[in-house]
Amino acid sequence: MIPYPQLIFGAFMFAVIAFCGWIFWMLPLWSRHGTFFSVTVVPGFRNSPEAARILRGYRTEILVHLAVAFALVIAGAMRREVVFLVLGVLWLTVGPLIAISRGHARAMPHAVAHSTIREASLVPRRTKLPGGWLLQVTPFAILLLAGAYVSAHWSQIPDRFPVHWGIDGRPNGWSVRTPMGVYGPLFFGAGLVALISLLGYGISHSARWIRTPAPRSDSVDPAHRIALVLVGVEFFIAAMFSLVVLLPLTGSPGVAPILILALGMIVCIAILLRWQSQGLAASASLSHPGDGMPDSCWKLGLFYYNPDDSALFVEKRIGFGYTTNFARPSAWIILAVALILPLALAALTIVNHHR
Amino acid sequence: MAHPRILRIDLASPRPVYEQIVSGLRAVLVAGEFTPGEQLPTVRQLATDLGVHHNTVAESYRVLAEEGWLDLRRGRGAVVRQRAEPRPITAAKHGFSRHLEELVAKAITDGVPRAALAGHMSALAKKLAKP
Repeated sequence: MIPYPQLIFGAFMFAVIAFCGWIFWMLPLWSRHGTFFSVTVVPGFRNSPEAARILRGYRTEILVHLAVAFALVIAGAMRREVVFLVLGVLWLTVGPLIAISRGHARAMPHAVAHSTIREASLVPRRTKLPGGWLLQVTPFAILLLAGAYVSAHWSQIPDRFPVHWGIDGRPNGWSVRTPMGVYGPLFFGAGLVALISLLGYGISHSARWIRTPAPRSDSVDPAHRIALVLVGVEFFIAAMFSLVVLLPLTGSPGVAPILILALGMIVCIAILLRWQSQGLAASASLSHPGDGMPDSCWKLGLFYYNPDDSALFVEKRIGFGYTTNFARPSAWIILAVALILPLALAALTIVNHHR
Repeated sequence: MAHPRILRIDLASPRPVYEQIVSGLRAVLVAGEFTPGEQLPTVRQLATDLGVHHNTVAESYRVLAEEGWLDLRRGRGAVVRQRAEPRPITAAKHGFSRHLEELVAKAITDGVPRAALAGHMSALAKKLAKP
């Protein structure tokens, strides 16, 4: 049993929500210079009093959404109501998206015409996945090894074993010793890793590269960097699901997941801060306002829909990384698969929770 | 100085996009920015970066291949060719002179200073004289 479980859970949730809050707080400033809340603006607009007013309004809304989400999660934990927990997570996801859309609407009156000039480098791009195939298959190998270990110790697995623990450290979800009950998380983890790997492949092969005047070295190729981060996520997922599969043999995970997640957050902060100071600064010297994409194609400031654009992955206008062009049918397939897997995990968790 | 291995198009121009791609690439190839055997970006990469349809870029590459600038082979992409100098055609020479004069007249009409035009043409002449 974990001592002071409510206190640990409360502190942990506060740290998670504070981390999300920091990301949402900074998000509008991480986009390419020349765009602000997905709107094409004159260079330097984000330093104007108008921009400061829009940003202030957005950040106030973010603080309110975070407070509501935290209250819901804590209430869910205190009253042992899953509905409150789910609502809290939903609020944490949807609330900031609404705040971004409202910021987008407030920034729209300051839009300037986007440039119709398009530039492309004539140098063939490096499209190899970071680390090559060896690094790509390693997360699958980790999952495979975990499966082999469990298989070798099959007789030591109890007929019924815990797979979910409450905030007091007591088990509240169970599974049984069947191939699906034991290896299920491995298949699920492999599916997630395969999805992320495919996304990395897609981004490094078919993302639009917006040229900046400064020569780019390989180390700041944005698509390559995102693909590298995705490999990191694959390793994290492989490690997490391997841990889950080993649970029937090891017992309660204790505070290990909390420590792993905390470590992941620290690594994320370090990467984000480094990117902010490095790659994004290069976009400040762009000769044209914006990124060449029409503002009207950015629905609610979040979703890109442009039937005249052949690109499947384009740079985000809020934050950094890539988003899909929803005018391309493959974008909907990616979205469907990306939604189905986490929903399946949530369904499995709830089913196990009530077993 | 602009980066030499950059292709620039204007989507608002009345000139068709494939023509802009052809003339932009041709200018880069004439300037000797690529040596024979070097690869150009794939059709997909160029189309994605320019935000135009793949067929538009593929058509441009085909035109340049017909002119002898590129070698298009399945699986290898577009490779720059060692292009043999074609025999000058008198009609083409006269056509070029007339076209150049018309272009200069239009530029002067649009307010480009004569001295600037002379400077541009002189720089171009020096570039062409290089082996």
